[in-house]
Amino acid sequence: MSQQQGGQGAGAGAPSGTNLYGAPQKDMEYICADCGAKNEIKPREPIRCRECGHRIMYKKRTKRMVQFEAR
Amino acid sequence: MPDGSGRPPRTPTFNTLAREKAFRNPPSDGSTYNILNEFVAPHLESFNALFDDSGLPSGDGDGRGLLSLALKDIGERVVFDGTGQPNSEAGATGWGNRMRIWIEQVTIARPMVPDRDRDALERRVFPAEARERLTSYRGRMNIKLCWTDIQGQTHEMLKDCGLVPIMVRSIRCNLRNMSSAELVRHHEEPEEFGGYFVINGNERLIRYLILPRRNHVISLVRPTFANRGPSYTPYAVQIRCVRPDQTSVTNSLHYLSNGSAMLRFSLRKQEYVIPIMLVLKALVGASDREIFEGIIMQDYQNTFLTDRVELLLRSFKMFTMHTGDQCLEYLGDKFRVLLNMPEDWTNAALGAWLIQKMILVHLESPRDKFRMLLYMLRKLYAVVASSCCADNPDSPQHQEVLLPGTLYGMIIKERMDEILNNIRANIRTDVRNGVPVDFNDKRYFQKVISRVNFDIGGKLSNFLATGNLVSPTGLDLQQASGFTIVAEKLNWQRYISHFRCIHRGAFFAELKTTAVRKLLPEAWGFLCPVHTPDGSPCGLLNHLSRTCRIVTAPLTVAHIPALLAAHGMTQAFAPSIDGRKNMCVQLDGRVIGWARPDLAAQLANNLRIWKTEGKHEVPLDLEIGLVPESKGGQYPGLFLFSSRSRMMRPVKYLANGRDDQVGSFEQVYMNIACTPEEIEPGISTHVEHNPTNFLSILANLTPFSDFNQSPRNIYQCQMGKQTMGTPSTALKHRTDNKLYRLQSGQSPVVRPSLHNTYAMDAFPNGTNAVVAVISYTGYDMEDAMILNKSAHERGFAYGTVYKSQIIDLKDVRGASKSSTSPTLHFGLGRDIKTQGEKAHPACEVLDFDGLPFIGTRIHPGDPLAAYINDTTGRTNFVKYKGDETAFVDEVRLLGSDAGDSELQKIQITLRITRSPVIGDKFSSRHGQKGVCSQKWPAIDMPFSESGMQPDVIINPHAFPSRMTIGMLVESMAGKAGAMHGLAQDATPFKFSEKDTAIDYFGEQLLAAGYNYYGNEPMYSGITGQEFAADIYLGVVYYQRLRHMVLDKFQVRTTGPVDPVTRQPVKGRKRAGGIRFGEMERDALIAHGTSFLLQDRLMNCSDYSTAWVCRTCGSLISLGYEDISLGEVAAGASGLIKPTGPGGEYCRTCRAAAEEEEERERQALATGQALQRPQRDVRVAISSQNVLGRASKGGDLDVVAVPYVFRYLCAELASMGIAVSLEVR
Repeated sequence: MSQQQGGQGAGAGAPSGTNLYGAPQKDMEYICADCGAKNEIKPREPIRCRECGHRIMYKKRTKRMVQFEAR
Repeated sequence: MPDGSGRPPRTPTFNTLAREKAFRNPPSDGSTYNILNEFVAPHLESFNALFDDSGLPSGDGDGRGLLSLALKDIGERVVFDGTGQPNSEAGATGWGNRMRIWIEQVTIARPMVPDRDRDALERRVFPAEARERLTSYRGRMNIKLCWTDIQGQTHEMLKDCGLVPIMVRSIRCNLRNMSSAELVRHHEEPEEFGGYFVINGNERLIRYLILPRRNHVISLVRPTFANRGPSYTPYAVQIRCVRPDQTSVTNSLHYLSNGSAMLRFSLRKQEYVIPIMLVLKALVGASDREIFEGIIMQDYQNTFLTDRVELLLRSFKMFTMHTGDQCLEYLGDKFRVLLNMPEDWTNAALGAWLIQKMILVHLESPRDKFRMLLYMLRKLYAVVASSCCADNPDSPQHQEVLLPGTLYGMIIKERMDEILNNIRANIRTDVRNGVPVDFNDKRYFQKVISRVNFDIGGKLSNFLATGNLVSPTGLDLQQASGFTIVAEKLNWQRYISHFRCIHRGAFFAELKTTAVRKLLPEAWGFLCPVHTPDGSPCGLLNHLSRTCRIVTAPLTVAHIPALLAAHGMTQAFAPSIDGRKNMCVQLDGRVIGWARPDLAAQLANNLRIWKTEGKHEVPLDLEIGLVPESKGGQYPGLFLFSSRSRMMRPVKYLANGRDDQVGSFEQVYMNIACTPEEIEPGISTHVEHNPTNFLSILANLTPFSDFNQSPRNIYQCQMGKQTMGTPSTALKHRTDNKLYRLQSGQSPVVRPSLHNTYAMDAFPNGTNAVVAVISYTGYDMEDAMILNKSAHERGFAYGTVYKSQIIDLKDVRGASKSSTSPTLHFGLGRDIKTQGEKAHPACEVLDFDGLPFIGTRIHPGDPLAAYINDTTGRTNFVKYKGDETAFVDEVRLLGSDAGDSELQKIQITLRITRSPVIGDKFSSRHGQKGVCSQKWPAIDMPFSESGMQPDVIINPHAFPSRMTIGMLVESMAGKAGAMHGLAQDATPFKFSEKDTAIDYFGEQLLAAGYNYYGNEPMYSGITGQEFAADIYLGVVYYQRLRHMVLDKFQVRTTGPVDPVTRQPVKGRKRAGGIRFGEMERDALIAHGTSFLLQDRLMNCSDYSTAWVCRTCGSLISLGYEDISLGEVAAGASGLIKPTGPGGEYCRTCRAAAEEEEERERQALATGQALQRPQRDVRVAISSQNVLGRASKGGDLDVVAVPYVFRYLCAELASMGIAVSLEVR
C-alpha cells in the first residue's frame, strides 16, 4: 500500500514504461529557490529558473503516500 | 511582588505576543535587536576600512581605505632594459631605458552573477545562494596596473585579480543596510549580523588575535636574549610600529654588556641587527654631543647613565663614520642586494629608504624617529639600572587586537607587492637571458604579465578556507596558521561566541610555562574571566567582555600636541629639558613634548574632561595613559593612544557624570568602582555602568551566577555552547554539515535581563523542567538523572539532527574531466525497471530523476541517488552510509555559477530523529550535567501535595561538593515564576546580604501557597506513603547537550581485527573495540576475577591455539608431515621420522636429532669417540626440555596463546632471539 502509489500514476502518463530507453522520459517539476516558480526541467537540461534565472532548485515533496509505522 | 490583594493590571513579562508579532512581521526599517549588529562591528568595520568608501570617519587622514594606503606604501618598481652604455656606475652592460611599474588603483566589486549568464533577473548574488550552492561569496577584484615606456609615457591596464571573498554585511556585501524584512526575503536570519565569509558553503571567520600594543615601547627582560650572541644581555626594549595601512614592523633594541645597544628588525623573515649609533647618525646626522645630551637630558650626576652613553659613543668610533650621509651610504651598501630597489639609486638613497621602511615606521619624519629612539634608549638604560621594571607583555595593558579586516588588507597588500616584484623579476630575467626586451612594445609587456600570477582571490579563498598564511614576510605575526575558524551554528550561543572570541596566538599554546594563561587584573572589563574553555586552550582562548569595544575608526588627533602645548607642555624640540624632573608625553608613539609630573596629571585630567564633554574636539576614544612616577615601577610618562584596534569599554566618569571610554592601558592607573555604593570619594574616578559588564555575553546568561562556585560558571559557558538548541530560524536555507535542533524549546522562566537584550528567546536553548532533588530509585545516583517517561512522551527535550550529504558527479569515479559534456547524469537508466513485479528495489526511494523522494525514510545502505554512466550505459547508485534511519528532508539541485550546465551536483538534507534515550546528556545552567539513567513511568514517580510530578529527578549529592547555590535559587525562582506567571530576573549582583534572594523568592512561594524554602512534602509513587523528609521541588531550565549515546556507543563481541596482531581494531567508526587497558586489567586482578580477565584479554581478543614443542619449547618451528595415507615418513636416510599424531613435528628438534644421529653413525664408523661440540653460550634449560630429547622432534602440544604472542616470537626470532616455552 505504501509503495508505488505515485509511481504507478506517473507511469500511466508516460507510454507505460515501454519506451525505447526503458527509463521513462518524464520531465520533473522543481521549485525555484529564489522566486518559488514551478519549473519543468528535463533530464540534461541546465539548472536554471525560467522565471528569474536562479541556479538552485528544490525537489517537490512527493505525492506518493508516505506512511510509516508509528511505534 | 505579587501578594494577591488589589493587584494592578499585570504587564506581561515574557513578551510572548510581542515576540511572535516581531517574528511574523519583521521590521522593514532596521532590525529588532540592534545590539547584535553592534557586537560584530569590529569585524565589519575593519573590513570596511579597506575601502575608500568605508563610511568610517576619516580622522586625520583623507579618508582613503587601507588598500589605497597600501598601494601608496608599495610604491613603484623600476626595471631597466639593459641597452645602455656601460659606465662606471651602471656596470658592465649599463642600465639602459628605465621603466616604472606601479599599481594605480584597486577595486573590489560586490558579488555578482557572471556576465555569461544572460537570464538572471537578479544580478546580485546573496550569501544564501553561496551557502545553498556550497560555493564562496566572492566579488571580483581588479587592479589598474601602470607602467612607463621609454619616452616616459604612462600606460595603464586593468587586470583581473580573481574573485575575492567578501565579508557578509560589509560595505561590499549585497545585504548591506538591509532591514529584517528584507533579510528574511533573501533567506537570511531576521537578525543576520554578518561578520563572516562564506567559503564553499561554510561560514568562516577570522578570529581576533592578541598582538603587542602598537607604537608603545615595552621593556623586556628575557634570559633567552643573552643567547643571541656574545655580549648580549637579557635586557631589551621593543616597539611594534604600525604604518597607516595597518601593516607593522617590530623593532627591538638590545642592550649589550659593553653599554651600547643594537637595533633589531626582520626583513622577509630574516633578522638583521644594526648598531643603534649607526641609525641615530643616519637619521638626522646627529653629532655625538646631540646624542649625548638627548639621552642624558641634563642628568650629568647619573654616572650609570653617563658611563653607558660614553661607552655607546666610544664604541662607534671603530666604524670611522662621522656624518649622517656616511652612515646612510654604509647602510645602503650593505642592504642593496636585499632591498630590490632600482639599480640607479645611490647607496645613500637606499639607506634612507631602509630607514623609512623598516625603522619606527609609524613615524614619518627622521627627527621624530630620532627622538623616539633616544626615548627608547633612555627606557632601556632605566631597565638596566632597575629604576623601572620590565613590562609584562602578557598583560592586556600592553596588548591590542588583530582585526580581521586588517589581516585581510595585509595579505592583499603583500600579494600586490609580490605581483610587482614578479613583473620586475620576469623582465630582469629576460634582460639577463638576452631575450629582446622592448619597453615600447605593448605586446612584450602583455607577454611578461601573462607569466605573472595575478590570482589574489584564490590566495584569499585558500587563506580563509584553511586559515594558513602563505607569506614571504610573515606579516610580523608569530604564527602562520590557525587564523580562521568555522562559525558553527550548533546553537545560537555558540554562534555568537565565535564573533567575540579572541586568541592569544598559536605560539603560546605549546609554551611550557603557564604564565600567559594567567587571569590578570588588567583584563577586567575587557576579557571575560569566566568564559574560557577548560583544558588545553584554557586562558589562551578568551572572550571579550560584553561591553568591550574595539576601536575601528581613525580619530582626529592632529591638533592635540598644540592643545597640550597651549596648556603648558614643553614642546619636544625644546633645547634643554631636565630628564629627571620631566615625563615624556607621547601621542601614538611620537614624542610630542615633556611635562613635569604634576602638570602631566593636570593635562591628563583636562583631556579626560574635554573628551567626555566633547570640548576642543578631543575624541572620546582617545586613551589617556598617565603612568605616574614610582620607585621601580612602570616607566613613567603620559601616553596618548588614538590608533585603531584598541580595546575600550564604557564607564561613567564621576567628575562630570558623563560617559567615558576607558582603554586597557589607562585602566591600570584608574579607580573604577563596580557599583555606585562602592565609590570612595576622592579616590574613585569612574563607576561601572553595570556591575555585570565585565562578563561576556554567555557568562551573563547564567542565572544567579554570583551564587555559584566560580568553576561551575565556567562549565556552564562550555555547556551552553554544546546544547542542542535552535541554531537558526532560516533552517530551510541552511546546508551545514550537521545541525542540532531542539523541537520543544522554551523561554526560561528564570532569566537574566540580558537574555532579552540578546534575542535569546528567538533561539530557545532548553526546556523548563520540574525538578525534584531526591534519592528515589537507585537509578538517580550522582550525576545521573531520571526522566519522567510521560514528560518524555509529551516531547520533553525532543531533538532532531540534520545532516547534509553532497553528491557531486564530478568527484564520482568514472566522471569525465571536461565540464561541458559530462558522462554521468542523474537519473534512472534503461537497465532499471521502474514498475511492475520486478521493479528495482531502489524505486522505493528514488524518483525518475534519480533523486530521492522528499519525505521517504532511508535505511543504512539504501540508495540516495542514481546516476547513469554514458560510457557503460549502466545505472549506478550512491548509497546512504550512515548507521541510523533518516528521512529525506530536502533535495537541492545545484546549478553552476552561470546557470548554464546540467545537473551535476545535489545536496540532500537528511533528518534524523533523536528523542531522548537513556545515556543522553542533560544539564542545568549551572554546570550541573548528568546523564539520563532511566525513563521512569509516571505512575511510579513521586508526587507532591498538589499532585505535581517532577519531570526530572536529580540526586541530592549533586549539591554539597559543587556548591551551585544558583541552581537552588533558580529552582525556587522558577517555581514562584511559574505559579505567578512571571519571568524572573536572575541578573547577578542584584541581591545582597540584607536583601537576600531566599527572602525574595520565599515570599513569592509563600504567596503562591508553597513552603517558604521551596521544599514540600511528597509521596512515593509506588507505595503512596509520604516521605519522611520534605523534598526540594522547583522549576529549573534544562539544556539537552549534543553528546548523545547514539553517536557514542561502542559495543562489540566479535568484529574486524587487525591483520597483524589479530586483536580487535580501534575506533568506533570501524566497529572496533574499546581498549581494556592495564589499569582495567589491574582492577580485575585485584578483584580476583580471573575468568573475566581471561575472557576479556584472551577469548574476546586474539585467542589462538598453537603447537609448542615440548623439547625445545619453540612456538615457531612447526612442520607437518603428510600422514593422511598412513605412510611413515622416511627421509633420504630412510629412517623413520617421529611425528605427532597429526603428522606435526618440530623442525629444529628433528634437524638436531638427525644431525646427532649422523654424527653418532660417523663416530661408530670411524671408531672415534664422539666429541660433542662445545657451546660457547650456556643457558639454563629446565630438565624437562633435556629429558624429552628421546622423542626427537615429534613431541608437540597444543596450547592456547594470544596471537600477538606468536607474532612476538616470530619477531624476536628475526632478531636472533629464541623464545622457549616450558610446557607442563
